[in-house]
Amino acid sequence: MSEFFNQYFDFHVMGEHFWEVLEAFLQNLVIFAVAAALALIWGLALALLRQLPGKKLLPIRFITVAYIDLFRAIPILIIILLISGGVPFLSFIPQSIRIPHWFGKPDPFWYGVAALVIVYGAFTAEVYRAGIEAVPGGQMEAARSLGMNHWQAMRHVIVPQALTLIPAPMLNEMISLLKDTTLISVIAFSEAVLVSREVLSERLNSSAMILTAFFFVIIILPLARVVDRLIARNQGKIARGSHIEVA
Amino acid sequence: MRQTRLTALLAVLLLALASVAAVGCGGGSDTSGTSGAGGGEGGGGGEPLTVGSDIPYPPFEQGKPGEYTGFDVELMEAIGEKIGRTPEFQDTSFETIFRDVGQGKFDAAMSAATITEEREKAVDFSNPYYLSEQAVLVKEGSPIKSLKDLEGKTVAAQQGTTGLELAKEELGGSEIRPYPEGPDAINALKAGTVEGVIIDAPVAQHAVEEGGGIEIVEKVATEEDYGIAVAQGETELLEEINKGLEEVEQDGTYTKIFEKWFHAPPPKAVFSATHEAE
Amino acid sequence: MAETMVKLQGICKRFGSLEVLKGVDLEVGRGEVVCILGPSGSGKSTFLRCINLLEPPEDGEIFIEGNDICKGPGSGTGEQSWELNYVRQRVGIVFQQFNLFPHKTALENVTLAQERVLGRSKQEARAKATELLERVGLGDKLDQYPERLSGGQQQRVAIARALAMDPHVMLFDEVTSALDPELVKEVLDTMRELAEEGMTMIVVTHEIGFAREVADRVVFMDAGVIVEEGPPSQVLENPQQERTKQFLGLVLDR
Repeated sequence: MSEFFNQYFDFHVMGEHFWEVLEAFLQNLVIFAVAAALALIWGLALALLRQLPGKKLLPIRFITVAYIDLFRAIPILIIILLISGGVPFLSFIPQSIRIPHWFGKPDPFWYGVAALVIVYGAFTAEVYRAGIEAVPGGQMEAARSLGMNHWQAMRHVIVPQALTLIPAPMLNEMISLLKDTTLISVIAFSEAVLVSREVLSERLNSSAMILTAFFFVIIILPLARVVDRLIARNQGKIARGSHIEVA
Repeated sequence: MRQTRLTALLAVLLLALASVAAVGCGGGSDTSGTSGAGGGEGGGGGEPLTVGSDIPYPPFEQGKPGEYTGFDVELMEAIGEKIGRTPEFQDTSFETIFRDVGQGKFDAAMSAATITEEREKAVDFSNPYYLSEQAVLVKEGSPIKSLKDLEGKTVAAQQGTTGLELAKEELGGSEIRPYPEGPDAINALKAGTVEGVIIDAPVAQHAVEEGGGIEIVEKVATEEDYGIAVAQGETELLEEINKGLEEVEQDGTYTKIFEKWFHAPPPKAVFSATHEAE
Repeated sequence: MAETMVKLQGICKRFGSLEVLKGVDLEVGRGEVVCILGPSGSGKSTFLRCINLLEPPEDGEIFIEGNDICKGPGSGTGEQSWELNYVRQRVGIVFQQFNLFPHKTALENVTLAQERVLGRSKQEARAKATELLERVGLGDKLDQYPERLSGGQQQRVAIARALAMDPHVMLFDEVTSALDPELVKEVLDTMRELAEEGMTMIVVTHEIGFAREVADRVVFMDAGVIVEEGPPSQVLENPQQERTKQFLGLVLDR
């Protein structure tokens, strides 16, 4: 049993590598911040494209739905490896974009962010869609009857209401995204999991990995609680007969 | 209507997967190495000897489960014949390999692994079976001509290897990228996302021979001896392996295998290389 | 005869294979108040919604103030074959479910479309909104959110919201059906005032009393067609058609 503690909870190892792992964990947070911001925007764009009305715009809706279906289905790891393994060879793309070193971050960082945004754009688009569709149909009718066109109605009436319905599921997606930043370790970006593996092979001890897990837990656990409370509050609202909230 | 279409689609997919699996499994391979299959051609019959190895790492170990081949694999099979054991190679990740052997997950580990003090805390090593050095790989025509030229540049190596350690020691100002597998690092070089790779010389040589526009610009003698690792305290097994290795070296089998994989005669020093297990 | 504000001819509407409107004609003059009665499923609400193109008809013609609002043959069915903007800016509608914007105050509900669609300045819109809300008796509720208002109050805000766009015709789709009985009167009073001020109104309703007192004309619809129409004294007191008699019998003898 003490073997177990030595292997996983060796506090000396944790102590010696604490700052190293923490610094690497901060990288995960940076990846998360960038990818989350971009994915939230991209997802909204996708959701709105999907809502475009009229027969003429059917091709756009179709492509959007196909994109969303496709990238919800392909594992992120595959996307990361496809991007990092293939893009550098696409010589028709100029080097500065093909192998990006923007804002001091090396190319694996950007390949990782790209993969995360591509996939989480699809997931967040579905969350937005649920919110939009949960807004009662009469809202759109009222807005259009007052003379607003589709975009005005979306911007002033539908989307603001949709946004109030989605914090809980959206936060769940963000939590998922934060954890998935660890996938970038496979393309040699020095985030927390990679560094923990290095310590592992150096010290033949997994305690740094436990430390990394710990960092994730203390950030995510409070967020998960917030989600729980948001959901409970929404259900309470329905019970008190206040206006809507279905999502 | 939609329901039945979905079910139909799933049924077809499952059927397709099942048939692919059936065809693919025709070779009768299994990586969980019970009796029979496992590594290459079974050696001299007798009790199986599970050998952990990080595959692929050409030319030392490569190939598909059930059809592993390479210098390590063939050498181990030859040793196995001498000592009456059948080696079964199992793919595993390099960074945990010594711990795994130490805890009995494998009988031995043979993975182009350098004998180091740190590693000896967990395992015991056989006599060296290969004398190596690190090589610096760059793209053909690159202005980089030596290890020092890589200072300040992006360098790749494999996680947990002595190549990575060398990079960290000598190239303090460079961005060092540790890839999970050796071939990943080499691919990054070919792709142009890194400017140099530090990796075991024979592996580098093999990669150059495979093509892709890369070349070795410097070899760094690091006095690296490769050994076969066993769990600490397994003195009997270790003695057997050492004996087998010696026999293989003496009857010319070693030279044959060496020349097959490295296209050159083996250095004399390896025949007399010994190592005291601690 | 006052000038014709709205003229519909041969309106047909289908939902899938179900024919809801089977050729309906209606002409409404300026300042006229027309009440449409009928059992549920008669198509009266659908007909009303055809007028402002919430349900674009499959067939038929619509004239607003003498102008044909169909974009011409060959433009297919659906929204894009009609002059949507022209219609929506002249025809206002009030819904059974109010459909107020819950994330906006009463005042904001009334100013939003004024600013975005008509391009009025903030002050203009506010002034107009305040005036209208005071007119419907909600001058003290300007900054309240809909969830704090009673059903009757919400509906009055909805009326003010539609009026703010200066429509020429107002449509009312069973606007009191979702209200508690004691709140119905305040809404009907507002509508009565509106009628007295000369607004052209087409009202789908179950409130026979209102129809009798306020309507210039009553239309009875059943199964997708107009069965009978005429002044309330005639249709309500002395119906000619069997179906009308049946319906009124059921509604009045309660």
